[in-house]
Amino acid sequence: MTEPVKTRILIADDDKDILDLLVFKLTQAGYEVVGVNDGMSALAEIEANPPRLAILDFMMAGLSGLDVLRKVRANEMTKDLDVILLTGRTGDSDVDAAFATGANDYITKPVSPRELLHRVNALLARGNK
Amino acid sequence: MSDGRLLTLILIVVGISCVLAVALIVITKIHRRSAGDKSRYLLSAYRNELIAIASDEDKDGDAKSVLNAVPMPIWERLRPSVIDFLPKVRGTAAEDLSALLRSRGEIKRATEMLTSRSGVRRARGAYLLGIVRDRNLAARLIPLLADRDPDVRIVAARSLGVIGATTAADGILQALRTTRRSVGLPAWVAVDALLGMGVGIASAIETGLTSDDAAVRNVCAQVAGHGTIFSTAPKLSILLATASEGEVRASAAMALGRVGGANEAVALARYTNSSEPAKLRRTCAVALGDLGRLESLETLVVLLGDDDRRLAQLAADSLVRFGEIGIAKLSSVAVGDTPSANAARGAIDLAKLRGQISHFVGDS
Repeated sequence: MTEPVKTRILIADDDKDILDLLVFKLTQAGYEVVGVNDGMSALAEIEANPPRLAILDFMMAGLSGLDVLRKVRANEMTKDLDVILLTGRTGDSDVDAAFATGANDYITKPVSPRELLHRVNALLARGNK
Repeated sequence: MSDGRLLTLILIVVGISCVLAVALIVITKIHRRSAGDKSRYLLSAYRNELIAIASDEDKDGDAKSVLNAVPMPIWERLRPSVIDFLPKVRGTAAEDLSALLRSRGEIKRATEMLTSRSGVRRARGAYLLGIVRDRNLAARLIPLLADRDPDVRIVAARSLGVIGATTAADGILQALRTTRRSVGLPAWVAVDALLGMGVGIASAIETGLTSDDAAVRNVCAQVAGHGTIFSTAPKLSILLATASEGEVRASAAMALGRVGGANEAVALARYTNSSEPAKLRRTCAVALGDLGRLESLETLVVLLGDDDRRLAQLAADSLVRFGEIGIAKLSSVAVGDTPSANAARGAIDLAKLRGQISHFVGDS
């Protein structure tokens, strides 16, 4: 008997603590989770093996989460990927920028692991309808 | 003793000192590396428990029990990791990490550190009490806003902001004052802390807008704007009209762009007049865009041709933020080779690149 295919989620954050805890949280919730610690690796992973959902840190050295999102939306193969931006900023302009660039949702740091799981579940459920 | 022998002796002493110094540096580095390796090894052994608590997945409390039972010498090495994690999470995860620190005696220890003779220890204690986010601890931190060490005052203010202790608003405003004995709290620290306290500080901010201290008025104006405290609009208008400090007037103008109405739009338009200081005019042009009142459109169009080209750019950006009607105004001006036309075209091109006006203006 084959196991059901797990939904694949990519998480990119340059803070190892945050990355580890989110990977742990979503793995415990039954998802297949890939964690990377920079924007370039996130983009490479998305293009090589597109996940169902990407959670990108807004501020990463090199390629930021917003930069990755722009490239994802500009690519015909990945433009429909669900993306949540993870940000320490709460300014309206950053939220505007996130949604204007095509983010499906955003979550502010400090992170509530429980809230994040609810949002991930909700977003994926919307996409499955 | 001859000069030659004395020189030789000095050289020998200097040589031995150098060798000892190098040996000391090497030993210290080896010791630090070994201690670091040991810490990393110990941390890796308990990392899963820490992650389980921080991710709100320690449902049965096993991880907490393990970390609660860790012997004190190991806990001493683990403590910084737990403290590092705490400001990164909120909700149940943060409560559980705080409970762990409390049960390990860290809150008690931090509270005792607040009265230490060392400023570094007082600051560390204040930091820990802040990230624990327990409002009951705010009363312990408020006296530190008057601490003799400026770094301690900063940490205390930031911690009170993280806790969201509205009772500390007056104390933070007082700490902004520079006296002969101490320099006031930096404005950005106070603004950040006060914004962290939410709407419960509205009355303190209103009172602060009439303070005799310019630093207090300036911070209150910034908080009124960023915190969108609408009740402050009348006092901000008075500040814009009467303050003698340019920075305070600019902060009041910026705030009015967020909390003002029709009357404030008229006042802001008045202060874009060429007789006013450049900084104030520019701030008012931005604030008119924030406010988005239709009666400001003509004022902004006139500013497109101003000799201050930065002011013209800001006015054009403000018109873009009006949406369709502002873009139409810009398009009507963007003809020919006048300064107004150049400013208008620049703003339209920039807005197209940002994807702000694709709905309004075609590329043809």
